[in-house]
Amino acid sequence: MSTTRRRFLKAATAGGAVAGVAGFSALSHVLAPILSGPGDGLTAFSPPQADEIDETTHILNRLTFGPRPGDHAGMLKLGRKAWLDRQLDPESIDDGWAEARTRHFEALNVWPLGELLEYNARELLDQMTRAKILRAVHSRRQLQEVMVDFWTDHFNIDPSKGDSKWLKPADDKTVIRAHAFGKFRDLVKASALSPSMLWYLDGRVNRRATEKEKPNENYARELLELHTLGVDGGYTQQDVMEVARCLTGWTVRARENTRFAVGKVSFRADLHDDGPKTLLGVTIPAGLGEGDLDQVLDIVCQHPATAQYLAGKLCRRFIADTPPASAVTNVAQAFTDSSGDIRHTLRTLFDSPEFLTARGGKVKRPFHFVISTLRATAARTDAGPALQDYLLRMGHAPFQYPTPDGYPEDAQPWMATLLWRWKFALEFADHSLKGTQFDPQRLQQSAGGETGLAAHLLGRSPAAAETTALAASGQPVALLLASPAFQSF
Amino acid sequence: MSLTTFINDQQDPAGTLVVVFLRGGADGLNMVVPHGDDGYYRARPGIGIRRENLLELDGFFGLNPHLSALHPWWQEGQLSIVHCAGSEDETRSHFEAQDFMEHGGLAAGGWLGRFLRVRPDAGHSPLTAVAIGPQLPECLRGAPSCAAIQSLDDFGLGDRVPDGFLPQLAALYKTAPGVLGPAGQSALAALERISALTKTNYSPAHQAAYRKDDFSSGLQQVARLIKGRVGLQAATLDLGGWDSHITQSVIMDPPMERLSQGLNAFATDLGPEELARTNIVVLTEFGRRVAENSALGTDHGRGSVLFLLGGALAGSKKVHASWPDLTHSPLVGPGDLPVNHNYRDILAPVLTRQSKGVDLSKVFPGHLLQPLGLAS
Repeated sequence: MSTTRRRFLKAATAGGAVAGVAGFSALSHVLAPILSGPGDGLTAFSPPQADEIDETTHILNRLTFGPRPGDHAGMLKLGRKAWLDRQLDPESIDDGWAEARTRHFEALNVWPLGELLEYNARELLDQMTRAKILRAVHSRRQLQEVMVDFWTDHFNIDPSKGDSKWLKPADDKTVIRAHAFGKFRDLVKASALSPSMLWYLDGRVNRRATEKEKPNENYARELLELHTLGVDGGYTQQDVMEVARCLTGWTVRARENTRFAVGKVSFRADLHDDGPKTLLGVTIPAGLGEGDLDQVLDIVCQHPATAQYLAGKLCRRFIADTPPASAVTNVAQAFTDSSGDIRHTLRTLFDSPEFLTARGGKVKRPFHFVISTLRATAARTDAGPALQDYLLRMGHAPFQYPTPDGYPEDAQPWMATLLWRWKFALEFADHSLKGTQFDPQRLQQSAGGETGLAAHLLGRSPAAAETTALAASGQPVALLLASPAFQSF
Repeated sequence: MSLTTFINDQQDPAGTLVVVFLRGGADGLNMVVPHGDDGYYRARPGIGIRRENLLELDGFFGLNPHLSALHPWWQEGQLSIVHCAGSEDETRSHFEAQDFMEHGGLAAGGWLGRFLRVRPDAGHSPLTAVAIGPQLPECLRGAPSCAAIQSLDDFGLGDRVPDGFLPQLAALYKTAPGVLGPAGQSALAALERISALTKTNYSPAHQAAYRKDDFSSGLQQVARLIKGRVGLQAATLDLGGWDSHITQSVIMDPPMERLSQGLNAFATDLGPEELARTNIVVLTEFGRRVAENSALGTDHGRGSVLFLLGGALAGSKKVHASWPDLTHSPLVGPGDLPVNHNYRDILAPVLTRQSKGVDLSKVFPGHLLQPLGLAS
């Protein structure tokens, strides 16, 4: 099936003259990437006009991977509330274009998981990376992509460990994407039983077959330290050990042992420590077996430290590297009141005055910088080696962060990447970045001229000093993309 | 360390770790020859190196004459050699064994990437880590900032930058708020240093003579970066061609020459002070079978040698080895030198020297470290 589709795509691209079948719905998804001209959506648009970042630009900056041409006017027309409602309900947004751009990465949809073993691990990582880049660039469900990025770091897995390399695509789909706006507890549970996570944090070898065997604490510790309570969440080493005991017996079928049902997760009662446990002062009675997991999740997800910790992380992502305590408190309250409903928690955050007024003070991480460049310029990209190489150089290639804490959110660790950002800006503007193109003339025309283009890329009217600098630079588009203002959001 | 000081005129805050990977499974037995063990000569009647051709190391081991350029460094106490070194991987597959060694076992990311990430004095330079060659090796995976380069020009902004561009960029960053201002100044300073490096013709110091091969030119680029004070914390180089299944000497002699001549030129060029801050590590995924095969070659084995040069670490002038008697001791598997020194235990003191206080349990998770005692 997939082979046929690939062949067809190839033939269609080669043939070129396929415009006549545009209305044929069965093919439209497949043909969408071919039929649309260069620079999708590039028609005349009005860029922001204020001297400072206005509310519309601010929301686009924070809740998307950067405004595309026309996004600013689009939100003004729709209204902030309606725009936000739609973004928080991604299913309501037709995303055929992004679907079409990523559908041919068939490895990401393979089922059962064992089938993935046929793929070369590098090829799989490449497909995951390309799909992530293309979705970030093209998806109209932008807040979903931003939250997927957030949760991918929060529940970080570096798939280069063991069987994870074949199992991470399923984690991306059935854990991160499936629960990005759902209940936090469901997300944690899905992650706890994710085959990829069971590999990455050694849950699969956490067992107690004999009295003497010590549980493996790796996952238990990170569950408390990174996924729920936070490092200052008030748990002890004893709590870590009790969580580890509760989770003994969960395992995943490994490639080295079987060719059948690889990646299947199961609970082995014979490897489970079924004695009583006490976690954070709460008793978990003996004999619950696999039910221990639900007990653990109830205790840690309802713990006030978890609300506080998650609210802090969300506020650092959306408000400031050091967010005001009032905002964190309110967001934590919303999390608690809604029993960990992510959508409700986010809505509270986005409606808060602290969020609405904290404009332009964060620094884009390299992935955000690259994607916002492509979005702002309506560029087309194959998301291939040249683009990925820049992400590698800047230490921000998707799915390649080795430790479980995920890529850092604050600005400081990324400050060594400016040189590469400048080089990227120059290469991109110069049309020498392989596999990525844009049309500067049409872009400038659509934005209503030089000043309009500057306002579009800066999210506000250029200051006098910026206008002077642009004129004297000899390469205004590159200078805009390399400027401190474009690194901020 | 503040953002503005990662590049300064005095010196880099930390030294540089240079990792040379001998790809293909280098035969440690013919590089560092146990001439004191008759079993060696019995197992290798055709390809064994006779004692009179060796350069004496410590009365039991001798150095292959094709590695003679390294001998003065041994005599000076700058070179350490660990024999029967390797990893616990038993597959004898190049791919699996390299992967295992570079990741540091069943772990995410590469050991060098993790080291650069978790060291308390993590680098802030865009040039923190470079891989000389077309692509990043697995060991560098997860590094905070790293680039595969063919030449130093890869670091510049290219030659198509309009004249007005950099001054205007500098002007914008001068007034930038928050962390971006100083970071911009640092990046501009780095650019200046790189441009100074690439504009001038490099002449190696202390009459160092680099050969023309890729390995030597790669080392020369690394030496320029080290002396250029651009904040380089780690560099990796590959040297291939060790898979000596047939006619051992024909296969192995040329890469041994490249290795020893390259390292000799590099260490000479750096000079004593720089060399003391630079740790060079030479490793390979596995060694080779003790007995020669019918084609006068050797097949995939286990233990091999690991070289450490510079970094003010060495000095014992004795090859580190828990040597098995090749005649009477049981060899491992189909007749291989055992791995008595895990490569992580050998790297441990080197990494600690490069970054005091680094948490090695995060660099080598899942391995109970027993750091090798190296004189320092």
